[in-house]
Amino acid sequence: MKNPALHPRRTGIRYVSPRFQGSAALAFAVIIATGGAIFWYLVDSAFQRVFPHAAIRGHYAFDSAYDIVRDLLAWHLAGLFVGVFLTGSVLVLLLVAATRHGIGKAVDSLRASADGNLSTPSGAGPIGEFERFGKTIDAARSDTLASVLKIRSEAAALAAGGISPEEYRLRWDELKHRIRRIAP
Amino acid sequence: MSGPEAAGNVPLIHRRYVFGLLLRLCVNFAGGVGILFVILYFALSRPLPGDFAGVFHALRNLSPFLRPILAVSVLIYALLACGSTSALCVCILHKVAGPLYRMERILDQYRSGAPTRTLSFRSGDQIQPLAQAFNLWIGTLRRDRQRWLATMKDAERHCLQDEATCRAEMDEALRKVAEDMARYH
Repeated sequence: MKNPALHPRRTGIRYVSPRFQGSAALAFAVIIATGGAIFWYLVDSAFQRVFPHAAIRGHYAFDSAYDIVRDLLAWHLAGLFVGVFLTGSVLVLLLVAATRHGIGKAVDSLRASADGNLSTPSGAGPIGEFERFGKTIDAARSDTLASVLKIRSEAAALAAGGISPEEYRLRWDELKHRIRRIAP
Repeated sequence: MSGPEAAGNVPLIHRRYVFGLLLRLCVNFAGGVGILFVILYFALSRPLPGDFAGVFHALRNLSPFLRPILAVSVLIYALLACGSTSALCVCILHKVAGPLYRMERILDQYRSGAPTRTLSFRSGDQIQPLAQAFNLWIGTLRRDRQRWLATMKDAERHCLQDEATCRAEMDEALRKVAEDMARYH
């Protein structure tokens, strides 16, 4: 029987890409911090106004300070939630749009590569991570094109003739070896 | 980006994924605001002194007393919300970042000349058309490579005949291969 202690359950791998996940987390943190700062400023200035006003009014029909600022607090908390959530939603939609644009360009360039176009840059987009990814794809396509062009010029040179049979055979075998190395 | 979605009928990013992310963010921010409310509720709901003078002085001095409490509670809210949102970003966005990482590894492998496997992403991962497009490209390259090698092998069969025929067939095969390769630009 298997001992569960010796065979720990494999957990899913959570890839962390500092450029993509990190920058998204940072952007959300900025939104939350800004929302919190605005909330603090507004509520603090309201407290500075409301409590002295309640003190000099004289009719103390409340048990705690919460009874005085209940509505004010509720509205400000609702405002904080709505403001942060809406701004966060806009950020999510921007992230999704940038991903669709960047990866869409990469997909387009790979499909064009299948049709033989290995030279047009993918132009994968505004976010650093996608730009870097597009460059990686372009580098792979560029390597493939360089390899194909080299083989092609070698094949054309061999077919042009004027080479001794021994050298011809050597270069022929070398050419086959190079072709085998395409997309191994 | 209608191109990648229309061709494979698989969207780059599923709507369900986007709605799920928005829903989790909503719950996350609501939780943060809820915690902020609880802290402020406990700070503000202490009963005021019973007599008139006591209430007056308590209310007069309440706002300076509440200022650090408010600042600390907002700070706690910001730290909790930032922490949970960061965790959410890592967990949810790994469905995009993971496939990108995997694809980059395969591309590095491909560029180093090592045998390249067919790319497949985990179920639930986004940007699936990327794997399909990559496999399509590599598949086309492999088919072309097999065709070029077959053309050359075919020419080699004529080497069982005389030298001149062999050379002529090989030259013809090379021209064919070079012409075929011309589609790559």
